Amino acid sequence: MELEKIHYDNKIVKAFIIATIIFGIVGMTVGLLAAIQLFYPLANFDLQYTTFGRIRPLHTNAVIFAFVGNAMFAGIYYSLQRLLKTRMFNDSLSWIHFWGWQLIILAAAITLPLGLTTSKEYAELEWPIDIAIALIWVVFGINMIGTIIKRREQHMYVAIWFYIATFVTVAVLHIVNSFEMPVTFFKSYSWYAGVQDALVQWWYGHNAVAFFLTTPFLGIMYYFLPKAANRPVYSYRLSIIHFWSLIFIYIWAGPHHLLYTALPEWAQSLGVVFSIMLIAPSWGGMLNGLFTLRGAWDRVREDAVLKFMVVAVTAYGMATLEGPLLSLKNVNAITHYTDWIVAHVHVGGLGWNGFLIFGMIYWLIPRMWNTKLYSSKLANLHFWIGTLGIVFYALPMYIGGVVQSLMWKEFAADGFLKYQNFLETTTQILPMYMLRAVGGTLYLTGVLIMTYNLIKTAASGKFVANEEAEVAPLPKAIHDGGHWHSVLERKPILFTSLALVAILIGGIIEMVPTFLIKSNIPTIASVKPYTPLELHGRDIYIREGV
Amino acid sequence: MKRILIFFIMVLGLVTSSVGQATTETSVTSIWDDPMISFYVVVGFLFVVVILVLMVALYMLQVLNYMVKQATKERSERLGIVYKEEPSFWSTIWNKSNDFIPIEKEKEIMLDHNYDGIRELDNHLPPWWTGLFYGSIVFAILYLIFYHVSDTLPLQLQEYETQVAQADEQARKLKASNPVAIIDETNVAIVTDPVALADGKTTFLSNCASCHRQDGGGDIGPNLTDDYWKNGGSIQNIFTVVRHGVQGTNMIAWEGFISPDKMQNVSSYILTLKGSNPENPKKPEGELYVPKEVSSDSTKVQASL
Repeated sequence: MELEKIHYDNKIVKAFIIATIIFGIVGMTVGLLAAIQLFYPLANFDLQYTTFGRIRPLHTNAVIFAFVGNAMFAGIYYSLQRLLKTRMFNDSLSWIHFWGWQLIILAAAITLPLGLTTSKEYAELEWPIDIAIALIWVVFGINMIGTIIKRREQHMYVAIWFYIATFVTVAVLHIVNSFEMPVTFFKSYSWYAGVQDALVQWWYGHNAVAFFLTTPFLGIMYYFLPKAANRPVYSYRLSIIHFWSLIFIYIWAGPHHLLYTALPEWAQSLGVVFSIMLIAPSWGGMLNGLFTLRGAWDRVREDAVLKFMVVAVTAYGMATLEGPLLSLKNVNAITHYTDWIVAHVHVGGLGWNGFLIFGMIYWLIPRMWNTKLYSSKLANLHFWIGTLGIVFYALPMYIGGVVQSLMWKEFAADGFLKYQNFLETTTQILPMYMLRAVGGTLYLTGVLIMTYNLIKTAASGKFVANEEAEVAPLPKAIHDGGHWHSVLERKPILFTSLALVAILIGGIIEMVPTFLIKSNIPTIASVKPYTPLELHGRDIYIREGV
Repeated sequence: MKRILIFFIMVLGLVTSSVGQATTETSVTSIWDDPMISFYVVVGFLFVVVILVLMVALYMLQVLNYMVKQATKERSERLGIVYKEEPSFWSTIWNKSNDFIPIEKEKEIMLDHNYDGIRELDNHLPPWWTGLFYGSIVFAILYLIFYHVSDTLPLQLQEYETQVAQADEQARKLKASNPVAIIDETNVAIVTDPVALADGKTTFLSNCASCHRQDGGGDIGPNLTDDYWKNGGSIQNIFTVVRHGVQGTNMIAWEGFISPDKMQNVSSYILTLKGSNPENPKKPEGELYVPKEVSSDSTKVQASL
């Protein structure tokens, strides 16, 4: 069998990594500013553009879609080529994807401070940007599926299953959630109103966490963790079971954001029970990651890359246990609307996404520049300072959340609320807000140390833009059967279709009845949701009236 | 580095506990007034002692374990047998509960997969994990049955009704044991007692000052220190406005948030502001109000309304 000489595209990976680091620093700085404003309101500079209400969505968009998004693409573009023994399907598509995504981020960074927003959480961007996101996502999808089709490896590795699930689900979520009626270039009204709006919003919001922050990073974990540890993946069986159960169950859990609301109670209950059933599939991923390190734990002590990954996977396990518990009605009654939730998402964001990204980048840069890491001491310092940052972020917010919740519900002897002014609960937990900002500062300092370390590393090596590899062509042999899942791993289109079916079921069962069956929505005579046109008219009336 | 970490966590513990204390201090006048305080101190002390004893016991066990191990090692050396360490109790449990295949036998379960050098093992599913998964599915089914089929557990509307009924019962008991004269527009009167006025001032500063300014000079809401009133300037008028709010303005109804006697106190306090001439007051709004002859007979006041 003759070996073919091919070149892996490292340049696109490099571009995505640089974007990751830049937007990581920007997004976290904006987050820190928002954190400071909570105890020192003058930090909004007395400008409308930098008030909390505008920079909070800027922070979430920057860290989710710019920092984590770019890191996801870097990880996928690097691992996909090597797992499939082929260069990306089309270099032009790769670069359209890269520059398109950066332009979308730029548009977000301009429109959000200007106050141009759909006011839908995690989907604040206005309709022209929504369309651009859809187009660029399709470009990414074509590039990825194209690469899978021209592969030189018979079977798709578990990382690729997660990439496929990510691609199809984010496409569905984004399109369904973004139905809106444009009135001007920068203004639109959502197609949904009332409880339907809430349901669609949290079906989207919850699963954006699932399929933008979780599944792609499970894929990245499945490539980079065994690579860095130089150990075989613990259990193939576990991979199969936890992959399918995770993507099927995750999509149902959205209504747990809407407990004790006007959402029909059968939907609330489905949200609760599917959240509980999600513990095991999520932990399947954690176990497969941690157990892969069996026999390599001695190296975890020294290797910063492995340390970052271990804490990331552990944080994932903790957050995915905490989430289902928070979705139980009696726990939810205490924690909902408090700062506990902010701590919860940041354990996931800072711990799971952040640390996995750092581990991945520390591993990638020396390899792509064909050199050694400039300073493993600095990398270890980053690890400790980052861990400390997470602790300082999460613990004060947990305590603050409980204090808030107890104060909100405390009655005086005469039957009136003891703390009637919301401000009283806020001033009570000011020290917690300050500590949280300390945590954020520590975490950001760690990222700056990493940036310095990586720049030094790159300077000491030479970038390999096109990495040469010798690969065997795909044998023409005809396969007969094998394990059913093994067969599926050879058929990417069938696999993609099945993943799509798996993620559609939950959403359809929960959403369609509230759209079609009138009795499903509790109504009050005095409250009637506006149609987009009525909303538009109302806004004009308010603008022109008085 | 780890020492710094521990130090920071201790600082964090100290600061957070101070916030916790702040809340308890606001709700109870002082912790030391609690009659149970000596009980808490003793229990707390016992708790600390028990933990210390347990720690020492654990440490001694470890030392003992180590000595036994050393002794066996020496003996096997003397007898010329290769010493093989017994797996510890915990590692046996750990391996069993995860159904691990020993690392030495890994080759047997290595699959022929090789993706860019990544191999895959075919380890068993950890039994406790499988149990967790099945358990959560059983929980889900029971949950749905209890809430939606057998109606054993209350849904949110029932929960709400139960709680409201409980609160009503409490309110009834409170009223029966501690009858408070019902204050409304018909019998509200100006209070002059300094304690009541001070209470009125507290209510004013925490609820009214954000719109009417701390000195009552008016901002979003009207000036309360001049002789002009949009809805009348008698105690009854002011009480009515506080209680029911004013439709079409930012003045909300405070009934349900502030108790009737406190509404009476704050209304009386507002009347004491008259003529205080604060700096930069808001322009007069409404009509000039000339107080009628003050009468203690409430029926006459009624007629003047």
